Amino acid sequence: MHIPDGFLDLSIAALFYLLTGIVVGFSLFKAKEELDERKAPLVGMVAAAIFAAQMLNWPIPGGTSAHFVGGALAGILLGPFAGCLAMTSVLVIQGLVFADGGLTALGANVWNMAVVNVFVGYYVYRISSEKISTTAAAFVAGWIGITLAAIFAGIEIGLSSSFDFSIGVTVPVMGIWHTILGILEGIITAGVIGYITSVRPDLLQTRVLTG
Amino acid sequence: MDKKFWILLGVMIVLSPLFAYAAEIVGYSEPLENVAEMVGAEEKPFYDGLLPDYTVPGIDPYTGTLISGLIGTLITLGVAYGLAKVASNKRL
Repeated sequence: MHIPDGFLDLSIAALFYLLTGIVVGFSLFKAKEELDERKAPLVGMVAAAIFAAQMLNWPIPGGTSAHFVGGALAGILLGPFAGCLAMTSVLVIQGLVFADGGLTALGANVWNMAVVNVFVGYYVYRISSEKISTTAAAFVAGWIGITLAAIFAGIEIGLSSSFDFSIGVTVPVMGIWHTILGILEGIITAGVIGYITSVRPDLLQTRVLTG
Repeated sequence: MDKKFWILLGVMIVLSPLFAYAAEIVGYSEPLENVAEMVGAEEKPFYDGLLPDYTVPGIDPYTGTLISGLIGTLITLGVAYGLAKVASNKRL
């Protein structure tokens, strides 16, 4: 889902740099509510694991490939603001060091995977975990988070001239494909949250219970 | 838990060349690449990065992927930790 250089019009790229800058700046300011000195290493660990997991591209029978993205997982584990910072670190390093995701598209990529995926995933988890188990809520969060991130990618490219402004094609294609592939994202998110709930419930804090 | 985490991280890094190899064999693309092909949009790369596409220039691609995975994971660990440390400073 990493948008390369050449796909976005510069106006779209600039708009998403601006939006992303606002949210990441705000997250940098707000993350202290979720973090203390003891929790800072956890942000590094989550980001590192997501970077490594994203390198594993799974071939999906039928001719598509997908990798775990992890925005919802980061939001659930760290809180949305610290989760946004963790995912932003991953995307900036992927773009700068490995040219995975274009430099002009970095704002849009951070928006999709470090803002939409994290915040949507976190709030879907928080709301649905009041009704269903944390594992089931994590599945739904992973699934919906990645699907909405893909729809945003579809909007950004679909509003750009290199895609002939074919937003009527790009949004359904991105949305439908990632609704299917997102099931995997949901399963992995649920697996990790389910495991952590059983061995280290303190990591998930009481944020969900008291919030 | 801590020990298991580092083992999992190591396993993912070690597996990365295998996944790169499998990806090359099947030649599958992501939905984003597929939709780009549908409408004829083309990438216009102007920047290769330090380790282009998770390879190390001059080294065979699978060893390069392994090294890239290791380096990328360590940099990410450090950057995200540093960012969190700065952000957790209550005086800011």
